[in-house]
Amino acid sequence: MEILDAIRANLLSPAVLFFALGLIAALVKSDLKFPEPLYVGLTIYLLIAIGFKGGVAVSQAGLAEVWLPALAAMALGALIPLWTYPLLRYGGKLSAVDSAAIAAHYGSVSAVTFIAATNYLKAINQPFESYSTAFLAVMESPAILIGVILGKLATKQAGEGSVASLKQAMHEAIFGRSIFLLVGALVVGALCGDAGMKKVEPFFVTPFQGVLALFLLEMGIVAGRRLGDLRKVGPFLLAFGIIVPLINGTLGVYLGKLTGLELGGATLLGVLSASASYIAAPAAIRISLPDANPTLYLTSSLAITFPFNITLGIPIYLELARKLYSSP
Amino acid sequence: MTTHAMKLVTIVCEAYAKAAVTKLLRDVGAHGYTLFTVEGEGSRGRRDADIPEFTNIQIEVIVPLEVAKVMLTRLEHEFFPCYGMIAFTADVQVLRANKF
Repeated sequence: MEILDAIRANLLSPAVLFFALGLIAALVKSDLKFPEPLYVGLTIYLLIAIGFKGGVAVSQAGLAEVWLPALAAMALGALIPLWTYPLLRYGGKLSAVDSAAIAAHYGSVSAVTFIAATNYLKAINQPFESYSTAFLAVMESPAILIGVILGKLATKQAGEGSVASLKQAMHEAIFGRSIFLLVGALVVGALCGDAGMKKVEPFFVTPFQGVLALFLLEMGIVAGRRLGDLRKVGPFLLAFGIIVPLINGTLGVYLGKLTGLELGGATLLGVLSASASYIAAPAAIRISLPDANPTLYLTSSLAITFPFNITLGIPIYLELARKLYSSP
Repeated sequence: MTTHAMKLVTIVCEAYAKAAVTKLLRDVGAHGYTLFTVEGEGSRGRRDADIPEFTNIQIEVIVPLEVAKVMLTRLEHEFFPCYGMIAFTADVQVLRANKF
């Protein structure tokens, strides 16, 4: 019954309860709404806080310790679309371009899910490698590029226009505001080290949990507004949105152990592999594969996988890691 | 005061189309445009504008009639099939015709 305890601990955290509150607000059609600049402000805060902290941890651990799991994380992100694409195409009978688009979303990652997972591990006193933020940074883009290429190949779009839109998608995937801020803050944190951390700690560390709770309230509303679209995506994507994260999460945890991470770090790599992007990937896919249906990829990543991971997925990946690390 | 007849083209579309649409405006020869964030509902569902990616944008551009024709034709063929988007025109009178 350890898993039930782990799930209960997660569900009763302020962040997850506020997320649920947001979902309810959307379901009962409350007029509760965050102004858009507040949403943008909160994402900037969270990404800088987590990036900076991760950067400081990289400077402490040294690149020698970080590069192997980071490379593995990147490879896993790039490989996930290669197995989810045929599953969607032939198992789900989706069109080639929709399959490629969804595959890109599931290979890419959700920063909020990762942040919620670090918050959970901290709350239950499970140590983890803080430099795991570097994995978040390297896993966001590769899958998007692979997904776009798959989509282009499958729809046999070639020529100049297609190269231009691939370039645009690459630009979006590498210099989009979330990845730019995250990588930038990682570098700043790595350069500043612990001395820099002491200076910004009262602002970036102490209020972090409160800001995250506020942000998850907003994300609950945003995800909740999409719940109505669940009817449009069909049973296959509903199942896909839950089962595929469980499989990818297991792969991530295994890979974490193989590359020498501790239990907490392997859990986080599992969470990253299981999570699906709903900000960076849609922006890049909408530009480069405009024929793909946004209802399918946004609903599955934002209305199915994201709430599943935030509530049940995170403690499940931790339990998976515990099982794996306790076996000889 | 001398005024000149021009076309005001208004495009309301999903925010994801922003880069592509503003590029089109430049390509067909518009000299400038005004853009703002809006929310609304249409055949492709509701856009609540709660986060920047889920907003609609409204673009207003004033151009000579010939440019408006080319712009609308390209919008119709290249954009309408894949983006949530509407476009319409109105007759306007402007000062300083060379600005447009």
